[in-house]
Amino acid sequence: MIRVRGLTKRYGEQTALDAVDLTVPAGSVYGLVGPNGAGKTTLLSILAGLRRPTAGTVVIDVGVGARAVLPDAPRFDKWLTAREVVALSAHLGDVGDPERIDAVLYQAGLAEAADRRVGGFSRGMLQRLGIAATLVTGPRLVILDEPAAALDPAGRREVLDVVERMRGSSTVLFSSHILGDVQAVCDTVGILDQGRLRFEGPVAALLGGATRSAYLVRVRDGDDVVRSSLAALDWVSTVEIPAEHLIRLEVTSLAAAERNLVAALAAIGAPVVSIEPEQVSLEQVFLELTT
Amino acid sequence: MTLWRLEWVRLVRSRRLLALLGVYLFLGLLGPVTARYMGEILERFGGDVVVVLPDPVPADGISQFTANAHQIGLLVGVVAAAGALVIDAIPEMSVFLRTRVRSVPRLLTPRLVVSFAAIATAFLVGMLGAWYETVVLLGSVDIGRLMLGTLLTLVYLGFVVALVAVLASRLATVLATVATTIVTLLVLPIVGLFDVVGRRLPSHLLGATDALIRNAEPPAEYLAAALVTVATSAALVWLAARWAAQREL
Repeated sequence: MIRVRGLTKRYGEQTALDAVDLTVPAGSVYGLVGPNGAGKTTLLSILAGLRRPTAGTVVIDVGVGARAVLPDAPRFDKWLTAREVVALSAHLGDVGDPERIDAVLYQAGLAEAADRRVGGFSRGMLQRLGIAATLVTGPRLVILDEPAAALDPAGRREVLDVVERMRGSSTVLFSSHILGDVQAVCDTVGILDQGRLRFEGPVAALLGGATRSAYLVRVRDGDDVVRSSLAALDWVSTVEIPAEHLIRLEVTSLAAAERNLVAALAAIGAPVVSIEPEQVSLEQVFLELTT
Repeated sequence: MTLWRLEWVRLVRSRRLLALLGVYLFLGLLGPVTARYMGEILERFGGDVVVVLPDPVPADGISQFTANAHQIGLLVGVVAAAGALVIDAIPEMSVFLRTRVRSVPRLLTPRLVVSFAAIATAFLVGMLGAWYETVVLLGSVDIGRLMLGTLLTLVYLGFVVALVAVLASRLATVLATVATTIVTLLVLPIVGLFDVVGRRLPSHLLGATDALIRNAEPPAEYLAAALVTVATSAALVWLAARWAAQREL
């Protein structure tokens, strides 16, 4: 669907994108994450045709009429009504069905504000209106720059649901600094840092590849006894107590831990509440890759 | 909602059309009155100074209007045109439009045409008011020559809109576009002081109505300037479309 090779963008001496290779599969939801100044907006702008690359190739297997782009803080001429904004988008996308306009306004929660001028809209309402104007044409490729940044938690969830519903029928590429959102809806993730793509692949592969050989053991009491006993075992490399009654141990091999950890705790007589392998969040992986 | 209707709605709801029509009509009605009663006005406010003016003639009513229209009216027209032609003035709105149209000229054409139509209509309304009052207060003027002068002025206004478009495609803010357009329009008559060049510049058309209705110049005097203005306007529009398409957001 989107294939980018060796994409470079320079602004004078500054390199915003440095030989980026990126592939967005058709029908996927691709999350582009990165710290401020990583080059996310530049990359999305080039893909949207709003900026030209200094070098590299961009192949997008979708015509201009089947694409839709939503900037991070959508704004429209303040004297237009919400219905007129969506109607304009529908007209430019060759959508002739007026009922479709009402339907997307309803989906975006703007049915009651449809005939109000957008000059009085809050940022969240403008974001919803932008999404309605995006959805009305039924685009095959949707590029969203921080689509949920201005919304409250309920609004954010609704946007994520909309993105989720587009999976399969449309290809969605969106940038976000809310890693939980990316983890929740994206099947592929790209991590961009200082103009370079540090990782690209399925979210599961990113998290799996960063899995640590570590366990978290929660006990009722006797933290120090459990720690010293576990530290003496040859398949345990380090033991620490990050919080009261919580023991974190890193092991030399997960297989050894799976075979011996429960027995070792039983042998100590530790009052165990729970045992679980340490889960690695996207946020932790992101920080490791970008710092 | 088409791009053409968008421009109409912009004109009406942003009150630009009202401002244009209001200003030109006001100037049209004011010009002949000023010409007719200038002597009395100066006498009333002049104190001990005695100013002797020749008796007003019908051409003075029209000339008073065109003189004001080419200054105040044109300024309002440039502001109105720049408000529509700076397509990247609100970058987020520009992203919305640019990523949905197949080519930038499709976006630019309605803005150019509607802006010119609005300014031209306002000027015609003002001219109509000025002509009516001139006939009532001062007497009639040669209609054929008046219409030709008006047509030449419309050619000039087309050039102004094209100039705004080309500057808007480079400057991207309404204020900078208005300021640069005004400076350019002020510089042109200065260049026009060199007679050989001046008679072929767009600014030469500004004096056409006055000279024609006073029989001071034959219509052929303005042919070269009109042709240059049309050609220049076409070139400016082409350049505006090209630069607007090349512009990065």
